[in-house]
Amino acid sequence: MKASQSSPGQPAGGDRPRRHRVTDRVLGGGEEPDPRFTLANERTFLAWIRTALALLAGGIAVEAFTTEVFSPEIRKTVAVLLLLLAMFIAGGACFRWLNVERAMRNKTPLPLPLIIPVLALGGAVVSAVFIVFVLLRDG
Amino acid sequence: MTVAQVRYHADPGLQPERTSLAWGRTMFALVTVSLLFLRWLPVYGWLPAVLIVLTLLTAGGVYFSQRSRYVHGGRGIAEGRVRPDIGAVMVTGGAIGVLALLGMVVIIASPLD
Repeated sequence: MKASQSSPGQPAGGDRPRRHRVTDRVLGGGEEPDPRFTLANERTFLAWIRTALALLAGGIAVEAFTTEVFSPEIRKTVAVLLLLLAMFIAGGACFRWLNVERAMRNKTPLPLPLIIPVLALGGAVVSAVFIVFVLLRDG
Repeated sequence: MTVAQVRYHADPGLQPERTSLAWGRTMFALVTVSLLFLRWLPVYGWLPAVLIVLTLLTAGGVYFSQRSRYVHGGRGIAEGRVRPDIGAVMVTGGAIGVLALLGMVVIIASPLD
């Protein structure tokens, strides 16, 4: 996304309502960025949240619909791993949204998304558990 | 700021509409998850019912704030600054974290069958 207009921005604090002052403190001061960037950050957060929801749905589905396929131990292990991953991604999405918002307000470089390696590693671990289980079962 | 000014904001990138649609997709994902929890009802008793209610409450919160969210975004684009919706972000993220945590409790607390 490319900005074609600069943000006028306004200093934080002043005679604004208390709720806004609390929000400003959480957001780390600075100036409001271009509104399109704020909305883009919100949509990116929502994309992460839907990723967390997909992992949540996957965990429930593995637990509920694979009783005929997997042993109870492996079913519960994989389901818990997926739900754990969903919890970390949901929490990480909140922190990422906040860190990006703070960076934009203070005009500092955007932070790296640490939830990407968490998601990649988590997905790999869950896949490895399944592969090991399938290999052991067939052997 | 009149309704017409909000409705006809000057953003050809349609950011308020895309943001509302992103929330809408998230709402549908939440409803889908609540339907999946139904499968746990006959097996795990009352706790899945709590999960279903929590999921639907979150989805309902998104649904009923959609109109004000679109107006807020449109007004923000027109004024050149938009207040980040920190409450909606934290409540949504927190609710999904709690759902995942309670889901784990349900699974771990149940005996191996």
